[in-house]
Amino acid sequence: MNAPEPPQRASPRLAGVGLGLRWDFLEEVVDGPALPIDFFEVSPENYMRRGGYYPEQLEQLDARYPLVTHGLTLSIGAVEEPDAEYLRELKAEVSRTRSPFHSDHLCFSSVGPRSLHELLPLQQSRQNVARVAERARRLQDILGVPFALENITYYAHPGRAELSELEFLSEVLEQSGAGLLLDVNNVYVNSLNHGFDPRAFISALDSSRVVEVHVAGHTRQPSGLVLDTHGAPVADPVLELLAFTLERTGPVPVLLERDNNVPELAELVAEVQTLRGIYERSLERHHAGH
Amino acid sequence: MPGIESLLGELLLGPAPSPDLLAKLCKKHEISATDASALRDSYERLAVYRELVRGNLREALSLSIPRSMARLGPLFDEYFDRFLQERAPRTHYLRDVTPELLEFCAPLWASDARVPRYLYDLALHESLHIEVSALPTLPRGHQAAPLTLEQGVDFGAALRHVSYHHAVHELPEDEQDRSVPSERQVQLLVYRSPEHEVRYLELTPVASGIVERLLAGESLGAAVTRAAAASGTSLTEAVLEGAARLLADLAERGVIRGPRPEGSSSPA
Repeated sequence: MNAPEPPQRASPRLAGVGLGLRWDFLEEVVDGPALPIDFFEVSPENYMRRGGYYPEQLEQLDARYPLVTHGLTLSIGAVEEPDAEYLRELKAEVSRTRSPFHSDHLCFSSVGPRSLHELLPLQQSRQNVARVAERARRLQDILGVPFALENITYYAHPGRAELSELEFLSEVLEQSGAGLLLDVNNVYVNSLNHGFDPRAFISALDSSRVVEVHVAGHTRQPSGLVLDTHGAPVADPVLELLAFTLERTGPVPVLLERDNNVPELAELVAEVQTLRGIYERSLERHHAGH
Repeated sequence: MPGIESLLGELLLGPAPSPDLLAKLCKKHEISATDASALRDSYERLAVYRELVRGNLREALSLSIPRSMARLGPLFDEYFDRFLQERAPRTHYLRDVTPELLEFCAPLWASDARVPRYLYDLALHESLHIEVSALPTLPRGHQAAPLTLEQGVDFGAALRHVSYHHAVHELPEDEQDRSVPSERQVQLLVYRSPEHEVRYLELTPVASGIVERLLAGESLGAAVTRAAAASGTSLTEAVLEGAARLLADLAERGVIRGPRPEGSSSPA
């Protein structure tokens, strides 16, 4: 089988450094002055099959900033086929927000009819590669926009791993043609929890597949386990890994995620500005290296 | 291979895990010896996911029914565990987990003497806030044409028409409050205003009957006549004036847009 082409990376609607949209500051962003934020990323599940205040606010936001959708409950790796009704609603939401592509996580979050609302790691097997890749290919047709998968954090691998995380991720991308939403914090957290070199991991990925980069904060548990909490500022080693990544990928949009302990908007804007500095310096080095 | 996903689902939604339970689940789901051995080795970290699943769902519920959860205390945990084990969420949307939990708990709470009799009404009342705030938006704008007895009415607000056995809507918002609501039949119209505020309007039995029938698509004349008859009230001048006041009030609140055009579908 011929490998599908890597997704088209450049999108006129999406570049620079963005911020994950949270209701904590939605009104402030919609009603306030223009912010130095290049785009917002939205969880479509928060707006799908819904009327009222929040969809109206999102419509207003869409008039001011580019939006990109990042889903939570597709459960692409589940044994069962994705929910057709959910996909119809998702397609409508992606279209409403004019998202240049849609992404979700390389994981499963449902078992049969039960939805666990957590990103659960898939067994890294060839069977799961084939299943996810086939669905990701179909999804691009269904949604009508390119589709990207995000590498997740995982605290334990379920059962024996037939493939390493790197092999599993690379194989899925290769066979599906999907883009990679590379979460640098997830790579870093996994490297701490599973003991590998995060730079070697990122270097081994096909950088042409990266369509967006995520960064977020993490927390170390008393047990030593590091959790991807999205509840703290981005740690310095993750910022360094971001720079390392961007030097390889070149200009791909970068997104700051903050879902817990959400601070004042001004603090998040300042963190976006820090990321922008890293983004610009890394791109200079990227261009100098080519 | 699919057995691992099923096993994880049962492990994460089920009772507190133990190595023995994991071994039993491996057998039940026909997990291979090599996978079972790997699962045993990562048992403690797999258990972390159980806490994460519960934490996410519990947080969503606490945003929706905080007063009911506080009043139930440890009993809530018991029913939360049963819900996860015996049914679990089916929805993609966290905001819809509460109605699923309440649907599961309703018959159980009704037969459990430890659960206050008003508790289901209170939980339903709390959950309606998010439900109504998220209902699909209906076409807006007042229609200039007057209502007629021969036509139904066109509703312009997202709403729910509910009945309680207790006046839970009168309880204070304070989560620490433990006062008991009075036991009486309550008919409530919960609707979203044009400004997206969720508002509550208590209805008399006749008014409730009229609204119920209008929502079912009956003509205004039939709705008023049947609602009066159902509540044993004669169709007096006072009842008709009351119905007119109700309709004017609902129109002013943006709940009613005007007469339902001929041939349009029932709003129910």
